[in-house]
Amino acid sequence: MRLGTRKLLDKAFSGLGLMAIALMAMALVLILTPIIWRGSKAYLFKGTIEHRRVMLEQFGRGDAKAFNRETRQAAEARAPVYRMLEEFEAEMKAMDRTVRRNYKDAYGEVEEALHVLLGPRPGKRTPVLLRQQYGQTRWDRTMVKLHEVLYATEWDYSTPGAMGVQIEKPRVDQFRGTRLEPLFDYLPAHIDEMMRPRTTFYWRFITDTSKDSHIFGGIWPEVLGTIYLTLGAMLFAVPMGVIAAVYLCEYAKEGRIISFLRICISTLAGVPSIVFGLFGLAFFLNTIHVSDSKSVLAGSLTLSLLVLPTIIRSSEEAILAVPRSYKEAAFGLGAGRWRTVLTVILPAALPGILTGIVISMGRAAGETAPIIFTAAVSVGMPLKLWETMNQPTPALPWNIYNLCTEHEAVDEIRHVQYGMVLTLVALVLLLNLAAITMRARIAKKLRG
Amino acid sequence: MAQSPSKSLVMSDAASLRLRLGGWLGQGLLFLVTSLSTFAVFFIFYFIFKDAVPFFKLEGTREFFTSTRWYPSGHPPEFGALPIMVGTGLVTLGAVVVAVPLGIAAAVCLSDLLPFRMRQVVKPVIEILAAIPSVAYGFFALVVFATVLQNHGGSVLSIGAWLVLGPVFFLLVMVAGDLLLDRLKHMLPKPRLAGAVIFPALGILAFLVLRQIAARLAGIEISSGTNALNVSIILGIMALPTVVSVSEDALQAAGRELREGSYALGATRAETLVKAVIPASISGILAAVILGVMRAIGETMVVWMASGNAARIPEPWYNVLQPVRTLTATIAGDMGEADHVTGSARFHVLFAMAACLLAFSFAMNLASELIVKRSRKKLGK
Amino acid sequence: MNKISVYALAALMAAAATAQQKIVVDGSTTVGPIAKAFAEYFMAANPDVNITVSESGSGNGAKSLVNQTCDVADMSRPMKDSEFKAAADKGIQPVAHVVALDGLPILVHPSNPVQELTVEQVRKIYLGEITNWSEVGGPDQKIVAISRDTNSGTYETFEEKVMDKQKIREDCEYVGSNGAIRQRVQSTPAAIGYAGLGFVDKTVKALKINGIYPSAETVQTGEYPVARPLFMYTNGYPKLGSPLYRFVTIHLGADGQEMVEEIGFVPVTSY
Repeated sequence: MRLGTRKLLDKAFSGLGLMAIALMAMALVLILTPIIWRGSKAYLFKGTIEHRRVMLEQFGRGDAKAFNRETRQAAEARAPVYRMLEEFEAEMKAMDRTVRRNYKDAYGEVEEALHVLLGPRPGKRTPVLLRQQYGQTRWDRTMVKLHEVLYATEWDYSTPGAMGVQIEKPRVDQFRGTRLEPLFDYLPAHIDEMMRPRTTFYWRFITDTSKDSHIFGGIWPEVLGTIYLTLGAMLFAVPMGVIAAVYLCEYAKEGRIISFLRICISTLAGVPSIVFGLFGLAFFLNTIHVSDSKSVLAGSLTLSLLVLPTIIRSSEEAILAVPRSYKEAAFGLGAGRWRTVLTVILPAALPGILTGIVISMGRAAGETAPIIFTAAVSVGMPLKLWETMNQPTPALPWNIYNLCTEHEAVDEIRHVQYGMVLTLVALVLLLNLAAITMRARIAKKLRG
Repeated sequence: MAQSPSKSLVMSDAASLRLRLGGWLGQGLLFLVTSLSTFAVFFIFYFIFKDAVPFFKLEGTREFFTSTRWYPSGHPPEFGALPIMVGTGLVTLGAVVVAVPLGIAAAVCLSDLLPFRMRQVVKPVIEILAAIPSVAYGFFALVVFATVLQNHGGSVLSIGAWLVLGPVFFLLVMVAGDLLLDRLKHMLPKPRLAGAVIFPALGILAFLVLRQIAARLAGIEISSGTNALNVSIILGIMALPTVVSVSEDALQAAGRELREGSYALGATRAETLVKAVIPASISGILAAVILGVMRAIGETMVVWMASGNAARIPEPWYNVLQPVRTLTATIAGDMGEADHVTGSARFHVLFAMAACLLAFSFAMNLASELIVKRSRKKLGK
Repeated sequence: MNKISVYALAALMAAAATAQQKIVVDGSTTVGPIAKAFAEYFMAANPDVNITVSESGSGNGAKSLVNQTCDVADMSRPMKDSEFKAAADKGIQPVAHVVALDGLPILVHPSNPVQELTVEQVRKIYLGEITNWSEVGGPDQKIVAISRDTNSGTYETFEEKVMDKQKIREDCEYVGSNGAIRQRVQSTPAAIGYAGLGFVDKTVKALKINGIYPSAETVQTGEYPVARPLFMYTNGYPKLGSPLYRFVTIHLGADGQEMVEEIGFVPVTSY
């Protein structure tokens, strides 16, 4: 090969490597951007007066006096709407039955869409379902729902042999010449005064319980459940893992049994997470009955098995990284093995061990498959500590799955799903960040 | 601590015995706790296989491994798991295709090309990729990626083709041009001029071919965004960190001397890496690939949410634009109905699947251990 | 870390007062919305009772009830003989509470011009005998068949009422819940699927089957051919006045009926 080409190839090769890195970074950005961007909207969004109403009535939060003032203003803005409805109803009653029939269905749709937008009509009976007691709480959803009031979506199937085409018919056309006609101009012009959007920082999204299966409120039961499960898993896995690491590093003599042990540990690391779930169900729940239903306890036990190999490995690494001289010095001073391990090696290895623990906490917090059959439910209250022994809990990973596939109003609560994903990702990344900084500190200490 | 001077420095026999006994006991206890993880492994194998065996007793092995009909709730039920295994294999293969070239290239870049400071920037990217929970990946695959694939499938595919094939074609043009020049050197009067013609000509040709391919891909309509391609790409991204970090370790273990020797012989950096370093660390890289495969094969949430879950072998088998079903997703999804109270085949078949997964990951694990061990021996460590 | 432990401690101390009662509800994803609404309604009135609801499939509900890992099993199909037998063997006595009626609308994308199919045609589509929409009066598009996962009562109802117990074609896509069916159908123009009545909204189109449009009225009168009752099963009839009793009888009250109706199902008692 010519030298020039060789050099070019060399450059191209470096370029390939850099491109791989760039692609990887791009993948990360592409995945995180929608999660962060749309997830943040669960916390920071334009909230309407209905949001503040939910806050006040359901969570007892907010300034009642200011709210009442605001409600009065909003009600003033809304009054013409309801007046128009009443006038049109009176007009309809006076109509000939055949004429009335033309309007009845269309009017029903408008009334329903208005209910969704603004909440129940004043003077009407309060609905039982929470989701029907309030109008739209978020400005972005308000605009969507306003559009639904103004336009009827129809499909045009006139071309034979082809898919239909969506057409949006202004509803106003159906009510030309009636008392309802001005409504369709009034609504878009005054939607601001009726809904009074205001930038809202709803940080309590993370500490509020959910109302009406996540249509209102926050995600505290899920967050708390995740915390319980994670800490519970650590409670079992950390002592076992660290002890195992100490034994493997300090006591075990390399031999058949020990290499067998090691193979077992790496096998455990390779078991698919769903198999852990099956095992947790078959063993903890159906064989030794740790609780009489799915429970945090059973989930924690299952998760602890999952993270055990990680903890053993990282603790082992941390213990092996402790300089030999420490140990020799301790022996030289007459300390026994026990004492050396407890007072010299473990403290020196502690930051490294903690790093491993923190990373596996992130892993335990994010795992879904092992808790499906052992701990997770889709609706439940935040648990008290002792209730974790025999009660199941919602948990972030499972509820993300549940909300984005099984919930009856998937599209209405996209912001909650994104908010949950963001919260979970942020939780896990914070744990990892802690681990990274801890490791950097250790590296510094070892160098200096 | 100050010791009282009256104490003798020599231990009494009883004290010595007690100390030794205590040591033994303590050590035994430690051993017991350590072997708990062994018990866990045994228990897992036992409990999975215990419930898997009845299935094979009830239904035999032939249908499970060879039939393509998966109707666990039919009358009579049929348990042909072949399409499910093919589905698992397909997405895993897809993940390998995504993760392995990218991962190895990135590992090479990390270990040999990037300066130390850049490496400090890139490492967290890998760590974050590894840390993101699988359900978040699944959410992304289902809510974002599937929608994009479905609505702009053609454009996504053609952009992908540019990104992947572009560099490959560039390299090919370089090599082919060089070879051509070598051949023609003796026949042509002005080699330099020939080079100036050959390289651009080949380049334009490659560009045209690439554009043709991209245009072809852009015309494809994807009827369903939840398919094998979607899952393969996401699983590939999830397996990337494993592949990168393990193969980077392997590359670094190859040592400085090897590289310096190669440079001394006049090799360029690329030649050193391709001809000396990568062959020397190939076993470590293989282990990395195996670990990546295990990560992809054992993943549940992403495939459950975004693979489409159709228990059918795609037609043709490599058609990644069709939905597939995997073992893990079947276990997660079907566990709900399978009633173990009546001990039906339908319940046990899921354990049979889990047993297959378990056996496979166990074999893979052993293989990777063996490879690593052998490579250590070879490198004399 | 510190914060977490503080929270945990706070949670521990805040409610060290009362022991809570729990009701564990498990089972069908179709009944899920009803159970969730009932649970929230009940907990709002009785804060000392914690109700957890999982949606893991009817079969799982039955299984949990038999294993005594749940108190209420939501089911979108009646219990099978085998399940009754297993229950009896363990001394469990399943008692059914019919909380609502449900139709199984056949859903297509709203852009699909097809308005009506017969049960026969739907069966043929799912058998793979009809593979193109043009065969039933639609455009020339390959049909993408979508079904609920086999772990659902919805699937079994469909299998029984529409498929005549024949086997669904192999390339049918399976999704895990009613919501997922709707999502797949609304994003796939050539799709066909089926879900509970409560999951029909503007983004999908329910077809007339045998000339009957699925609605509360037609389900109630039995005209709509693909309909079924929805159950909650308990172990024995709950003790009168107990929280469990009050929970499984919510659907008999006016509020319960309104909730059932608003969620999109058909209350049993509204004759």
